[in-house]
Amino acid sequence: MRGKSPMKVAVAATAIALFAAGCQTDSTPEAPAAGGTIRVGSSEAAGLLPGFDDSPSIVVLRTIYAGLVENDNNDGKVVNQIAQSITSDDNKTWTVKLKNNYKFHNGEAVNADSFINGWNYVAYGPNAQPNAPFFGSIVGWSDLQSEDPDGEEGPQKAPEPKAKTMSGLKKIDDFSFTVTLAEPFVGWPATVGYSGFFPWAKACLADTKGCNETPIGNGPYKIEGSWRHNVGVTVVRNPDWAGASKGKPDKIEFKIYDKIDTGYADFEAGELDIWDGVPPAKYKEAKGKYGERMFENPSNTFTYVGLPLYNDNFKEVKVRQALSLAIDRQAIIDAVFDGRFSAAQGVISPNFEGYRPGACANCKYDAAKAKALLAEAGGWKGGKIVLWANAGAGHDKWLQAVGDGWKRDLGIDYELKVDLQFPQYLATGDAKKFTGPFRLGWGPDYAFLETYITPLYSTTGSSNSSGYSNPELDKLIKDAAAAKSIADGIKFYQQAEDLVVRDIPVIPMWFGRTANVRSENVKDYVYNKIHGTVYTEITLKDPNAVK
Amino acid sequence: MGRYIVRRLLQFIPTVLGTLFLLHYLTTVGIQLTGNPIRALFGDKRPAPETLAALTSRLHLDDPCLKQKGNPCLGLFRERLVDIGQLDFGTNFRFRPVFDWRGFFDRAHASIITDALPYTIKITIIAFTIEALVGVFIGMRAGMKPGKSLDYSVKISTVMVISVPVFVLGILIQQFITRDFGNFLRGQEWIPEVISRGVFGSAYKQEFPFASLIIPGIVLGMLSLATTARLTRTSVHENMRADYVRTAKAKGLTHKRVIGVHTLRNSLIPVATNLGLSIGGYMTGAIITETIFNVPGVGNQTARAIFQGEPAVLIGITTMLVLVYLVANLLVDLLYAVLDPRIRYE
Repeated sequence: MRGKSPMKVAVAATAIALFAAGCQTDSTPEAPAAGGTIRVGSSEAAGLLPGFDDSPSIVVLRTIYAGLVENDNNDGKVVNQIAQSITSDDNKTWTVKLKNNYKFHNGEAVNADSFINGWNYVAYGPNAQPNAPFFGSIVGWSDLQSEDPDGEEGPQKAPEPKAKTMSGLKKIDDFSFTVTLAEPFVGWPATVGYSGFFPWAKACLADTKGCNETPIGNGPYKIEGSWRHNVGVTVVRNPDWAGASKGKPDKIEFKIYDKIDTGYADFEAGELDIWDGVPPAKYKEAKGKYGERMFENPSNTFTYVGLPLYNDNFKEVKVRQALSLAIDRQAIIDAVFDGRFSAAQGVISPNFEGYRPGACANCKYDAAKAKALLAEAGGWKGGKIVLWANAGAGHDKWLQAVGDGWKRDLGIDYELKVDLQFPQYLATGDAKKFTGPFRLGWGPDYAFLETYITPLYSTTGSSNSSGYSNPELDKLIKDAAAAKSIADGIKFYQQAEDLVVRDIPVIPMWFGRTANVRSENVKDYVYNKIHGTVYTEITLKDPNAVK
Repeated sequence: MGRYIVRRLLQFIPTVLGTLFLLHYLTTVGIQLTGNPIRALFGDKRPAPETLAALTSRLHLDDPCLKQKGNPCLGLFRERLVDIGQLDFGTNFRFRPVFDWRGFFDRAHASIITDALPYTIKITIIAFTIEALVGVFIGMRAGMKPGKSLDYSVKISTVMVISVPVFVLGILIQQFITRDFGNFLRGQEWIPEVISRGVFGSAYKQEFPFASLIIPGIVLGMLSLATTARLTRTSVHENMRADYVRTAKAKGLTHKRVIGVHTLRNSLIPVATNLGLSIGGYMTGAIITETIFNVPGVGNQTARAIFQGEPAVLIGITTMLVLVYLVANLLVDLLYAVLDPRIRYE
């Protein structure tokens, strides 16, 4: 192995030097509570404008921007940030009053225009911002979208949209505006904490390309230099920040890794203070190795097996209940995933206000009951059941376990259909062409339980892939949206959840589990149930460990 | 000579066009068979149809021929050629330009390729230097004394390197050398950071732009190094027995001159071919090495583009790789004439 010789020389040199060094100095000074640089593992963001919806983008955006409301780090409750108040008499027209002392990093005031103009920009179809659909509930949204006159197949290009501004956004004065929704919605103030609703500086709207590289935020941190693509983003504390919590570290370095294994290796090499998401293959090892320094919590990603209600075999509710009862979720989680998930006890994330443990009686494994229900329904008539998943994402293993359970407990033979690539798979679902149960997932759009109900189960839900339609549930959603208070609304949504877990349009499987590890130098680790690790609140034992 | 170069340059045109068409066809069929890749960006969540349509149309993926399986989409290809002719390689799905030559000089015009290329050039230089110097040197020593212990150890070790795939080698080195041994070094206060965190870091680091590329460079160059060493060895070994070497020795030339001028120069012709081709190989080998060591270079971008099915990025990068390959090949051919005066191009 002569090829390695340069390295061998270096190794030898360091080895000799090792013997030469007599003693080590222990230099851990009494550490102040805050300051220093936190090094965080991340991945390449799609963009650093509030219009982007992928998690690496959001992680950075949450440090350099601040929204109307924030979720409390202790209990996840919605608290006002830039908003002074968000009020409505009818849950339809919301009046937003702003605090007047917030500024963008370039000195511009954060005012009503920053929100109105920014939101119009994101919603305007031709700007192709992934977050555009989030504004769909506001009156006038569809006027900002262009409609292709002859459909997607036709040769004609879509024309310019009718309007550039949503008619539902109206400025009252510099620091207040109204938002009119197409339908009443009690949870609207909770939704605006999402990064898509962050304000935009005038300078940012004037040069979105430049602003993407060097964001002009309004948050507790501001960017140092520019975004170094595929390398990193560094943010430093913003001395002019008017918010209550000033941020603990002086600097947060987001280091970009393309593969989670590489980033984790760099964490193990001591180059990172926080690594969110231990690679699945290393989970067990990390649990033993890091012990207290590993933080685990149920995450908000929901995995379910959808049932095609448009297929005759799945129309009978008892059949669906039997299928759900015959799945031993915990056994699958332990056998296939080393226990890395939390078995679903309902369809709402355990982190959300309004979550009830054990809400889903049909989600507990009970083979005898399953068998009895199936018999009552007259047995299974569909022949071999076909289980669908997209190819290459490792879903076949657990779906097979699900199928094995059905075969064992219900005597239903199954086959896997896992050869479709992701786009094709999704298109099949969008066109309602699945012939059997299908794997899908869901993540919350905002910190309000409604996000787990309406889009998935209401008759007109944007992601209602099972084709479930229940007038009772639709009415509950309507009542909830018009409720007097958020607490009242939650009660209606819980009733809606009860209907879902009774009718089983989808079989709830599990919620994810975050497994975050941190370095020995981290003193206080802060985790927000809604957003995950709060980098701005992390303190170090020795702030000078990294220069 | 001039005419030869012009003729070779003209041959570039059909080669590049052919590659472009092949890539265009492959990515087009990919979309036709697996559906609109933009839909997959939204994952399990169904996007509003208006948003999906707006994104798709801005990325020029709304051509109806992308729905007709097997259609080569010649119209789209023509559009693409016209754009590329104006040095517009399009953008990725997130509207970052694939290539903009001004990006080399001005951050405001940054693009995927101009951002990534410097890293790949650096890592290529490291790999190439190690390959050329070490490979030729040990190959020469082994070839001069065939059957001796050095010869055997070169033969055995090179077979070992050739038979271990690069990704296995890279991951092993990352686990045991940069992580375990590196952690040991990082525990020692007196070792300069450039060694403990730079050279023995598990991934590329901005603070050590050169040191942290050394190990990835070695991993990248390892395979071609073994090939180069073996080729040099065989070639030198053969030439040592050639008549002209015997003559040179017989007429009393110094050992240095016999080896340096008569043997080595003649032995280097096949080696030069191999070295030239290996530059192209580095660009593709970098896909694995750069991903393992998180070097934000061209290889890394290629891997990402493949996984996300980004036609514009793939076409842009591959076109560049083809050009690099062709130029390297041309240089190698021209180098023949320098090495062997009997070769003349007309």
